[in-house]
Amino acid sequence: MLDWSIIIHYFPFLFKGALLTLQISVISLILGLAVGLAAALSILSHNILLRWPARFYVWIIRSTPLLVQLFIIYYGLPQFGIDLNPFWSGVLGLALNTGAYNAETIRAGILSVPKGQVEAARSLGMGSSLTMRRIVLPQAMRLIIPPLGNNFIILIKDTSLVSTITLVELTLTAQRLIGSTYKPFEMYLMAAVLYAVLTTGSSLLLRQFEKRALKGAAA
Amino acid sequence: MSANNAFATHEGAMIDLRGLRKSFGSNEVLKGIDLTVQRSEVQVLIGPSGSGKSTLLRCVNHLEQPSGGQILVAGELVNRSDLKPRAFQRHLNRIRTHLGMVFQQFNLFPHKTVLENVVEAPVQVLGRSKDEAVADAEELLAKVGLADKRDAYPVSLSGGQQQRVAIARALAMKPSVMLFDEVTSALDPELVGEVLRVMEDLAAEGMTMMVVTHEMGFAERVGDRVIFMADGNIVEEGVPAEIFSHPREERTKRFLGDILK
Repeated sequence: MLDWSIIIHYFPFLFKGALLTLQISVISLILGLAVGLAAALSILSHNILLRWPARFYVWIIRSTPLLVQLFIIYYGLPQFGIDLNPFWSGVLGLALNTGAYNAETIRAGILSVPKGQVEAARSLGMGSSLTMRRIVLPQAMRLIIPPLGNNFIILIKDTSLVSTITLVELTLTAQRLIGSTYKPFEMYLMAAVLYAVLTTGSSLLLRQFEKRALKGAAA
Repeated sequence: MSANNAFATHEGAMIDLRGLRKSFGSNEVLKGIDLTVQRSEVQVLIGPSGSGKSTLLRCVNHLEQPSGGQILVAGELVNRSDLKPRAFQRHLNRIRTHLGMVFQQFNLFPHKTVLENVVEAPVQVLGRSKDEAVADAEELLAKVGLADKRDAYPVSLSGGQQQRVAIARALAMKPSVMLFDEVTSALDPELVGEVLRVMEDLAAEGMTMMVVTHEMGFAERVGDRVIFMADGNIVEEGVPAEIFSHPREERTKRFLGDILK
């Protein structure tokens, strides 16, 4: 039987953990989008000084586990005098991780915009950055919002790994409360429900964005 | 504005191609083209597919980078080799504002309304005020018969309507020359006429035009000069009546025979 009194009593603690999870997710999302866009444009650039480092970044992130990346940032970097607290270590690791996946998504979106669109813009005297900003990216957005949203849902769930570098977010809050309550099922269940609320809420919000981005698209 | 004035007052040829060559890999598509388009002249390029006529047109505004020769627009060299990449890009952008282009596939911006399509470049490139650009755009849309479609998205328009918007979009830059690249080839037959009529009106107003087309009726009726191309060369050129009634070259006779039968 579920111990409802425990659930009601400890819910505020877990809710607080969920707020921290939300906070770290949103900051990582924003940074991850910026990093992803920069990496995607670099990969598509003619300049090999941009293209090669960007390719290397995407490759190394996608071919190693997030957990190891977080450990390198939190436990490894202090050896080189870079000593970030758990929160910013987590943000850095998650932003770099989701950024690499975003880069692939954004790159594919940009490439899917027909060449004729770029030619039309160029023939009107628009430069390359104006063409990218006004013509290509808005059209790429339509295609990349759903997969980017998917990346964001994965990001929210991946924040649970930040519990391993001592940040007391939702998962670590639950773990700590188990130490004093001996009620693992109730605690993890509450954590799971709160994760589901965060991810489902994000999905619904993203669907609204998607609708706005789709104006003018073929039905 | 001084650059604009230079285009408006230039007295020599509006477009002057000298020994223009273009290769794609080992395939030479243009083999040294010499061609001159005078102000207010309507020059129609015809020829079998693969003859190089579209490539020629796309070299004029440097959508294709020529492999050799010179392109002069209003006396100014387009394919300059003395500029660093960024300066060259600015140079191209400036020249392109004077060369309107209309494409076979329309290439309207699907995420923008008809009005936004027309207003985009005048505001973003020429820095004109929104109000002024909108007033101009409405006038142009009325001219191409689409004033009532200003708030529609391209996807809801027919091919012929989209192409007329594309013409209005190019005209909004107040270009000195209009380049038409097989603009009716992707249209259903019953929609071709409405686009050709807009082009005919433009020619009557004295617009300088280079038209790549398979519409021989249009070439004969509207063209001041017809250029017949085959295999990357100009085979024959002259006034339409001459080319269509008394072609001199065997290659021209064969092409016209195939297309008109």
